Amino acid sequence: MEKIQLTNTLPHVFAGREDTGSDVWLRELTFERGKRYLIAAESGTGKSSLCSYIYGYRIDYSGKIAFDGRNINTLSVAEWCDIRCRHIAYLAQDMRLFPELTALENIQLKNGITHHKSETEIRAMFERLGIPEKLNQPVALLSIGQQQRVAVIRTLCQPCDFILLDEPVSHLDSANNAIVAAMVTEEADRQGAGVISTSVGNNVAIEVDRTLNL
Amino acid sequence: MKKLLWKLLRKHLSVPQLVGFALANLIGLAIVILAVQFYQDVKPVFNDEESFISKDYLIVSKSISTSGALMGGTSEFSEDDIADIEKQKWCRSVGRFTSGDYSIVATIAVDGEGGRSMYTQLFFESIPTQYIDVDNAQWRFDPNNPYVPVIISRDYLSLYNFGFASTQGLPQISEGMASSVKLRFRLKGNGQEEFIDGRVVGFSNRLNTILVPDEFMQWSNERFGSGQTIPPSRLVVEVNRPGDVVIDKYMEEHGYEIAGDKGSSNKAYFFLTIIISIVIVVGILISLLSFFVLMLSIYLLLQKNTKKLQDLLLLGYSPAQVSRTYINTVIAINAGVLIAAIALMLAARAYYLPMLRAMGTDGGTLWAALVVALVIMAAITVGNIIAIKRKVMSLWHQ
Repeated sequence: MEKIQLTNTLPHVFAGREDTGSDVWLRELTFERGKRYLIAAESGTGKSSLCSYIYGYRIDYSGKIAFDGRNINTLSVAEWCDIRCRHIAYLAQDMRLFPELTALENIQLKNGITHHKSETEIRAMFERLGIPEKLNQPVALLSIGQQQRVAVIRTLCQPCDFILLDEPVSHLDSANNAIVAAMVTEEADRQGAGVISTSVGNNVAIEVDRTLNL
Repeated sequence: MKKLLWKLLRKHLSVPQLVGFALANLIGLAIVILAVQFYQDVKPVFNDEESFISKDYLIVSKSISTSGALMGGTSEFSEDDIADIEKQKWCRSVGRFTSGDYSIVATIAVDGEGGRSMYTQLFFESIPTQYIDVDNAQWRFDPNNPYVPVIISRDYLSLYNFGFASTQGLPQISEGMASSVKLRFRLKGNGQEEFIDGRVVGFSNRLNTILVPDEFMQWSNERFGSGQTIPPSRLVVEVNRPGDVVIDKYMEEHGYEIAGDKGSSNKAYFFLTIIISIVIVVGILISLLSFFVLMLSIYLLLQKNTKKLQDLLLLGYSPAQVSRTYINTVIAINAGVLIAAIALMLAARAYYLPMLRAMGTDGGTLWAALVVALVIMAAITVGNIIAIKRKVMSLWHQ
């Protein structure tokens, strides 16, 4: 996948607005593979909605979103599964970890279908984010910040053309923010992937090609 | 990974609910297939297809009343009687029973040739070959090579087995054995005497007689008979519709009886069919209810696990992969119920089969019940699978 194109896209809840003053809504916008984007937004401007549209689990918008020119409304369930496993790596704002599983099991649940990282690599990532001792702890027992780091690791456990991050560092200190930024950048470089990151202020510390106001 | 999915999705799986479903379904299914099996097993008792004489042929005799016998009334049909029957609309044709007009003694070697033997006086009758449905090769007589095939009433064998043999310390004889025993007949009359071998070729429920081929009867009557023509005491009447009330009315008016009248047996069979149908419907209802219990349980389960299922779909799991955990559970439960229901049915059958054996049947085939069990279970399972898939698919968009 080389391009994600948005054409006149607008969430249904914003319907009727003539000009949103946004760089994204009701515009012609293309995210290109290999480039880094930051979507800066205030709460309630539809940042998570945008992510959910691109990731295909919500369709309450007007206008068009296309992957390499193909309207994503026409993608089949099987195609979406393939996209979620091999083309778009997504970190949801609410992380969507399974609290009853351990941190490692959460990662394995993703890596088990993508077979992208070895267990050694996964352990190294835990090490790097400073939570190696949390590997075998149920996620329910981790702090929000620790959970966010586990969720980042899980997001990086797949081949992809785009990494879509919805407020990836909202609960992290600047040191951990820097580590996450480095890990995301490295992974994106390795795969030649584009990065689309949203933020309400606490930006992930990666260099971006373009900042868009939502 | 499967293990992880199971660990994740089995949460909220309500064991009591599933046990409830399994039990209800087991009871429903077992009732249905037991009813089907019982019907199969009991059917032969009622349906004893008479292979020698078609249902369209009625065997008619005159009733013998006490006063009639004392007054010297006759039980024989006159030519006028026969002509009157032939005139009736429902009558296609009338055949006469011919009796042997000579004395017959049958000898049966009990301990094989030359050993102990039993003998008894007998009589023979015959009816025109067209009324008898039996293998022509067996049912013939060749004067040059005299050998007599005989069809006897099944009642005679029962009389012997249950009345005679059991009280006199004699061996009971199965139909197969009786057919393989060699009989020797001494025919005597008209100043002549001759020994002829014979064999029982079949047993009949409706022919209450000892039947020999018509060819043999003519040959033997010519040889040993007095030469007089005896009017028949029984007739075989071919009718259009055997169950017609008009026929019954006619017979009653003229004081005739139809042999082997299965009226009461037919009623019993009719009621059996109704009762079994009711039982099957009840069983199916229970199965259906249990199906909804499972459906409800699964829906509840999926509802409680909605968030997890959606999160799995977001990770890139396909709806099929996510459903599989539940589908496998359902298949395992249903397969277990199927096997248990068949086992229950077989156990119950083993319990009642000896009673049926006493009534002379070994029971029917198992196939019908097994096919019914499989079909019902397959239908329930397919219903479950479709419901699970639909429910999971409905979570696709959040």
